[in-house]
Amino acid sequence: MSPLVIVARKELVDGCRDRRAVLSLLVFPLVGPVLVSTLLSTLVERATVERTVTLPVLGMAHAPALVAHLEAEGIVVVEGPSSPVDVVRSGASEAVLVVGADYPAALREGRRARLQLVVDESREGARPAQLKIRRALANYGRTVGALRLLSRGVSPELAEGIVTEEVDLATPEARGAVLLNFVPMFALMAAVFGGMHLASDLTAGERERGSLEPLLFTPVSRRALVLGKWLAALAFAASNVVLTLGCTAFAMSRVPLERFGMAARLSVGDVLLMLGVLLPLAMFTSALQLLVASFARTVKEAQVSLSLLTFAPMLPALFLSFEPLRPTPLVAMIPVLGQQSLLGGLLRGEVAEPSVYFACAASCIAFGALALLVTARLFASERVVYGR
Amino acid sequence: MIEASALRKRFGDVLAVADVSFTAADGAVTGILGPNGAGKSTALRMLGGLVVPDAGCARIDGIDPRVAPSAARARIGILPDARGLYVRLTARENVRYFGELCGLHGPALERHIDELFRWLELAPLADRRVDGFSQGERMKVAIARAVVHAPQNVVLDEPTNGLDVMSIRSLRTFVRELGARGHAVLFSSHVMSEVATLCDRVVIVAAGRVVANGTPEELRTRAGCDSLEDAFVALTTEPVSDVATELEA
Repeated sequence: MSPLVIVARKELVDGCRDRRAVLSLLVFPLVGPVLVSTLLSTLVERATVERTVTLPVLGMAHAPALVAHLEAEGIVVVEGPSSPVDVVRSGASEAVLVVGADYPAALREGRRARLQLVVDESREGARPAQLKIRRALANYGRTVGALRLLSRGVSPELAEGIVTEEVDLATPEARGAVLLNFVPMFALMAAVFGGMHLASDLTAGERERGSLEPLLFTPVSRRALVLGKWLAALAFAASNVVLTLGCTAFAMSRVPLERFGMAARLSVGDVLLMLGVLLPLAMFTSALQLLVASFARTVKEAQVSLSLLTFAPMLPALFLSFEPLRPTPLVAMIPVLGQQSLLGGLLRGEVAEPSVYFACAASCIAFGALALLVTARLFASERVVYGR
Repeated sequence: MIEASALRKRFGDVLAVADVSFTAADGAVTGILGPNGAGKSTALRMLGGLVVPDAGCARIDGIDPRVAPSAARARIGILPDARGLYVRLTARENVRYFGELCGLHGPALERHIDELFRWLELAPLADRRVDGFSQGERMKVAIARAVVHAPQNVVLDEPTNGLDVMSIRSLRTFVRELGARGHAVLFSSHVMSEVATLCDRVVIVAAGRVVANGTPEELRTRAGCDSLEDAFVALTTEPVSDVATELEA
C-alpha cells in the first residue's frame, strides 16, 4: 500500500474516533438548511396572508360599488359582524368597515360620504392588511372625486398637486431572494470549515502531543506524509459539503419557493454542479489550512490563525449574499468569491459559461497545489520539529 | 553501527552542540550520559536526519542521513524525547501504523507486533486504546513503535524517565537483549546506576562537548572516583574541580 494511503487511512480512523470532530461534521450541515427553510417558510406564510386580506363590512348593502372596488383590489369582502369593536379587539379581524345608512345619499348628492374603519393600531401584525385596506379606500375616494370633477367639466388632474409613485423593493419576493443567497453561503462555509479541525489536529496537534517527531523519524517521504494528511482533511471537508448540499436540497424541496417565482427545486444536476464548484474550493482550503496550522505549536495557536484566515474571505462572501456579483472569469478565479458568485447565479437560474467554471476550479487547484508544495517543503526542513 | 563525528549545531545565539563524536558499535549498549541541556536531544535528532548539522556528520551503518534520509531512517529506530501516542488508537494500531510506514504489512507485521508485545509484556493491552494507559505502558508502546521495523540500530532517549521500578527492570532486560542480539544500542540517560549496569561503553556529554568516552571502568579510573556518579560529576564540572584542587594545594 502506498504510504500516502496509509497516512490518510490512519488519520481518517483517528478523526472518526474524535467525538468532537464527528459531531461538528454531523451538526454543521443541518444548521444552514434548517435556518434558511424556517425563515423562508415564515416569509411564504406572511406573503400568503398579505395577499388574502379579508375585510368584514357592516352595511354592505349601502355601498355595492365600493364593495366591487375593494374586491377588484384583491380584498375579500364579507358581511360584517354586529359588534365590530369586539371583533377587532379580539384580533379576529384586522379591521372592520362600517358603512352608515346615510352613505348612499351623501354620495348621490355630491357631499363627503363618511365611512368608519375600526382598527387596533397597537396590533403590529395587522399593519400590512390595514395598509392595503386604507390604500384601496383612498383609491376609491379619489376615483369618486375624479368622476365628480369630470362630470363638471374639470380635469381631475387639477385637484392633484402631485403624484407619488411608490416602488417598494421590500417585497416578499425580494426578501426571499436575499435569504436564498444564504444557501451558497452555508455550503461555502462547509467547504471552508469542514476540514479545519482535522487540519489543525494533524499538524499542530501532532506536534503538541509529541507524536510528530517519532513520525518524522520513520522512513516515509515527507510528500506522502503531507499528501496523506491533506487527503484526510479533504475527506472531512468534502463530506461536510455533500451533507450540507444534501440537507439544503431536501430543505428547499419542503419550502413552497414557487410562490416567490423562483426555481422551486434544486435538481440533481444543480446539486452536482454545486458540488463541482465546491470540491476544488475544499481542496484549496484544506491545503491552505494544513500549511498555516503547520507553523503553530499548539492546536489553540493553530485555531487562532485559522479562524483569522477563514474570516478574511468570509467578509466579501457575506457582502455578496446581499449584493450578488456577476461571475466573470476573473471573479471566479478568486477563491470563495468565485464560488459564491457562481452558486448565487445557479440559484437564480443563471448558468455561467463553462470557461468560468473551469477558471474557478483551476485556480483553486493551482493555489491548493502551491500550498501543499510549501507544506511539504516545510516538513522536509528542520523547522517542522520546532514549529513556527 | 552509529557514528557521529564532530557534530556541531547552532540555533541563533545558542551553540546547542559544539563538538560531539562517538561510535555505538553493533552488539553493544552505548550510554550517552549528560546533564539536561547538554545537547543530547539535538545530537540524536541529527542521527535521524531531522536536524542538519552545521559541521561534522552522522552515519548510520555508513549512510549519511542528509544524503539518503529514508535509507538511513530504515536502519535506525529512534525513541525521541517527544514520544506522544495517538490516544484514540489501540496499542496495536499505533505500532502497526509505524510498521506500515516502514514498508511492513500483512500477517508478517502482525506476528512481529505480537512478538514485540510479548517481549515488552504488553500483550494483554494490545487491543485497548492507549488513552487509559499508565506512563510505563505508554513508554513500552512508544518503544515498540520505534523498533517495529527491526532496525539494526536503536536509539533510546531517556527511556526510563518517570517509570516505576518494575517497568525499569523489564526495560533494562529488553535493552540488554537488544545488544545481545547484535543490535547497536544507544541509550541516553542521566541516571548513573542505570548506565553503569547496562552499558558497555559510556559517552559523557556536557555543554555540547564529549568530555569523556570509555567503559564505565575506565571512566571511574580516569576520574579517580569509586562510583560512576562521582566520575560523572568530576568529568562534567572539570574546570571547577581544577580550581578546587588548586585551592586545596
